[in-house]
Amino acid sequence: MEREASVKKAFSIIGKLLIVIFLFIEIYPIFWIFMSSLKSTQEFNLTASYALPAKLHFDNYVKAWYQGKMNIYFKNSAIVTIVSLFFIILFGTTSAFALTKMRWKLRDKVMKIFLSGIMIPTAVVLIPLYSMYKGANLLNTRLSLILTYIAFGLPLTVFLLRGYLTSLPDDMIEAAIIDGANIYQVFSRIVLPLMKTGIVTVAVIQFYFRWNDLIFSSTFISNTNMKTVQTGLLYFSDMYGNRDWGAIFACISISVLPTLIVYIFLNKMVIEGMTSGAIKG
Amino acid sequence: MKMMHLKKNDSKIASYYKMRKGKIVMKKRFLVLSMVFIILVSMLTGCGSQQSSQTPPAPTGGKTDGVGEFQSRNIKFLSIWPEDDKNANGWLISELSRQYGETVDAFNLEYEYVSIDQLDQKVKILISSDDLPEVCTYESGVRLKQVIEADKILNVDKTFSDLGIRDCLDEGAVSLLKNLVDGLGLYCVPLGMNMEGFWYNKALFAEAGVAKVPETWDEMLDACEKLKAKGIIPIVQGGSDNWPMTRVLNAYVVRSIGLDALQNAVTGKTHFSDPEYVAAAQMFQDMAKKGYFAEGMNTIDPGTATSMLMNGQAAMNYDGSWKSSNLNSEDNTAGPEGIGFFNVPVVNDSSTLRDYSMNCGNILMFSSKKYDEQVGEWMKFVFPMLGDFAIQETGSFKGFRITEMPEDTTYYTQLVADNLANAENAFLWFEAKMDSETSTLAQNLISLLYTGDISAEDYMRALEETAAKSR
Amino acid sequence: MDRVLSDKKAIILMVLPALIIFVSVVFIPVIWTFVYSFYSGMPGLKFQFTGFSNYINMWSNEQTMDAIKMNWKYILIVTPGQIGLGLLVSLMMYFSIKKYKTLCRTIVFIPTVLPTVAVAQMFAKMYEMVPNYGLINSLLNLVGLDQWIQPFLGQPNTAFAALCAMDVWTAIGFYTVIIYGALVDIPNELLEAARIDGASGVKLFTKIVLPMIRTIMITCLVFSFTGTIKLYESATALTKGGPGFATTSMTMNMYQNAFLYDEYGYASTVAILILIQCLLVTFLINMLSREKY
Repeated sequence: MEREASVKKAFSIIGKLLIVIFLFIEIYPIFWIFMSSLKSTQEFNLTASYALPAKLHFDNYVKAWYQGKMNIYFKNSAIVTIVSLFFIILFGTTSAFALTKMRWKLRDKVMKIFLSGIMIPTAVVLIPLYSMYKGANLLNTRLSLILTYIAFGLPLTVFLLRGYLTSLPDDMIEAAIIDGANIYQVFSRIVLPLMKTGIVTVAVIQFYFRWNDLIFSSTFISNTNMKTVQTGLLYFSDMYGNRDWGAIFACISISVLPTLIVYIFLNKMVIEGMTSGAIKG
Repeated sequence: MKMMHLKKNDSKIASYYKMRKGKIVMKKRFLVLSMVFIILVSMLTGCGSQQSSQTPPAPTGGKTDGVGEFQSRNIKFLSIWPEDDKNANGWLISELSRQYGETVDAFNLEYEYVSIDQLDQKVKILISSDDLPEVCTYESGVRLKQVIEADKILNVDKTFSDLGIRDCLDEGAVSLLKNLVDGLGLYCVPLGMNMEGFWYNKALFAEAGVAKVPETWDEMLDACEKLKAKGIIPIVQGGSDNWPMTRVLNAYVVRSIGLDALQNAVTGKTHFSDPEYVAAAQMFQDMAKKGYFAEGMNTIDPGTATSMLMNGQAAMNYDGSWKSSNLNSEDNTAGPEGIGFFNVPVVNDSSTLRDYSMNCGNILMFSSKKYDEQVGEWMKFVFPMLGDFAIQETGSFKGFRITEMPEDTTYYTQLVADNLANAENAFLWFEAKMDSETSTLAQNLISLLYTGDISAEDYMRALEETAAKSR
Repeated sequence: MDRVLSDKKAIILMVLPALIIFVSVVFIPVIWTFVYSFYSGMPGLKFQFTGFSNYINMWSNEQTMDAIKMNWKYILIVTPGQIGLGLLVSLMMYFSIKKYKTLCRTIVFIPTVLPTVAVAQMFAKMYEMVPNYGLINSLLNLVGLDQWIQPFLGQPNTAFAALCAMDVWTAIGFYTVIIYGALVDIPNELLEAARIDGASGVKLFTKIVLPMIRTIMITCLVFSFTGTIKLYESATALTKGGPGFATTSMTMNMYQNAFLYDEYGYASTVAILILIQCLLVTFLINMLSREKY
């Protein structure tokens, strides 16, 4: 018995140690980037790359922000992501509701159309979309990205919210209808408030998907003033190559910061969303 | 009745809440989420708009601010050089345009950068959407030929003659450019009158006891061996861009087979898979295997390769005469005469040391759709000045007439001038006549030829198969 | 009741906007791509109907075949890597720590929220060797393992491994959090009962834990697979597909064919091939889980 306990204890210590090492591996590179972003260019040549900066060079950030045009890219990314997120949620919740709780003939067929979208890789639509937007003069506009993001965000959103909605008991909706509520009231007063966790989950997942997109933004956008953070970052490192390490690290740090800050503020919600019923559905 | 229902409803919701307790996010948090988002967005968009209103779209904006009533003529320049790199062509055009902007009321040069590996794709997109900018950097050869055939760009011969500035172009460059598009005419201006060859660090050569500058390929291999024995990296190329490596391969192909080796292979007169071509690839790989190239060379970018040569970290670097602007700059730690140049060493008598790899660098082409009088005015200002301006500022030749050589010509500028004067015949770079697929293949696979992951036979066989498709 | 729940106007209002956008941006282009796949060249430029020849030529196109091989090798390494390590970490978190669980979860998830391109740039700097040692090479140098110092992104094998390592690193946290969420939901009584019955370690895991989290593991599998088969972002940003074509995925091959070689027709065929593989595997996973998605 005693031996078993000591084995157990040893096991738990090893487990703890492994976790600490693992957490270190996950975090250290990010710390390293921030440290490196404060180094001067000469320091990269003279000291080992794990060394801490001798003096804090904040001008790297100034350079990245203005020369790297990070200010412009951020604006573009924020607009595109937030607008498409809004519509993904709006269209996603309404259609998921109509597709699970309402009664109509083509319901299952339409549901299938949406769900089939989950399995469609982005590559398949790239060429026709490119031709379409070119024809409609939408290349180099934010609209091209917003439309694409909404369309690609919908299937997973509908799928996740459906899983969430099916777990809602029907009699609640029925009771409300008997009370004289119309369908819009049922949706906005009863269903929507109960879907909050699901909506947060979807919003979080979609935020990171859309914010990270590179293939659409690098295909549809070539104008520097319309570029998003992702394409902008690639562009900046192409332009400065190895000439200016400090500025590149600063650029990376800048692009990492907002998502990090949002996450630090909202981490409980994000993680709750990730472990909520929607994903398990 | 109604009350009852409501109550029933309420209790149901309450029990539902209980059921999913811990999974429901409270209202407060939801509010926090939306608020943080809103604040973030307003912050970002706020910063952005403030920024763009404070600084003009391009630093060259000059007088555009406050003119208001005038329609500012915006000329867009698609470039592959960072605008602030004073050793590169982009800065020359941008700076001259700034000076032009000071002479007129409303003018703005919109500088747009694209990385070199995306240039081709971008230009294709712009052509197919009929949106080529006023001024655009491109590459001469097959690619330019396609653009000419699509009828989207200005005939420079005619336009410059009409503007009365035709004589600002260097005739040597003009004939080279015309030759590159198989005599279709002059549809671009040069941005260089370049010859290519090996730049070497004199101090390192001396240190390794290489007394004589190599004239034959064997002598060069010999020098490599001596350098290596001293622990010096013999050759460094900016391999991450791939073309600096195909240039070395090209050097051996041409010297061992002849000046028209590439032209013949592309048209099918000879084949890439012929033993002479394979032997050249084999030479390249052997040099890599013997450690004559820097380790990890396919991750080094050209700028770094240049600094390694100047810092004395590597002894040789094959590159074009555009390098003279780097060498003339303060960054050159090797000093005002520390770096030397020699033409590609000969392998046999198929060519001589007076045959140089020559080109006009990247070229500029002009959209015919967007050309108007104002663009013409801008051209009349910029191009006649370009030759003199470039030689004064960077000591490099741009393929434009030079009215007066600066008195204090540097060693490097003189070195280039002497070699250019020495040239009898020119040969082209590796991909000059290849279609995009063959050229992509040649560039991507050279990296594997360097690492030893494909054999010389496979490399040339792959090129042959792809080139055959478009013959 | 039915009158309200089958209010046609409401249904149209709620579903139609989403349906129109989805169908016109996703559904129609898929059909369009399918049609294109029987053509050669580029619309407006030597565009010709060639029947099945793209589908036949594909098998002898070395670049495409290499891309398929590379992509599957990647899937087979990265998917088990992401989910397996995620499972391992979540188990360690669940069984061996009591305090700071929330903190651990929060930290583990951080790499997931970072922009892909930024992560790739970061790793590119970590893997660097010339002109300066990056993080990894300088650490190797520090501990005296100089013979391991190498240009990680300059050699096909190490570049591929470097890519896999990066993508596993980014995603472990995501799967850890999801799986951990499922672990927490396992009723404690069930574990206790099993322990009293003498089950421990491996047995406890395979007999109790695994069946309980089976559904979530399948969800993870779907997530990971759909992510890895469309590999584009991370490889483009880390290696641009090189050296040679060593890290060129199917999507990147399609992209090159379309936008570099002007072969929209052939590129569409590659796209259709990706779609078919995607559908096949999803079908397989569905069979495996015997659940409808």
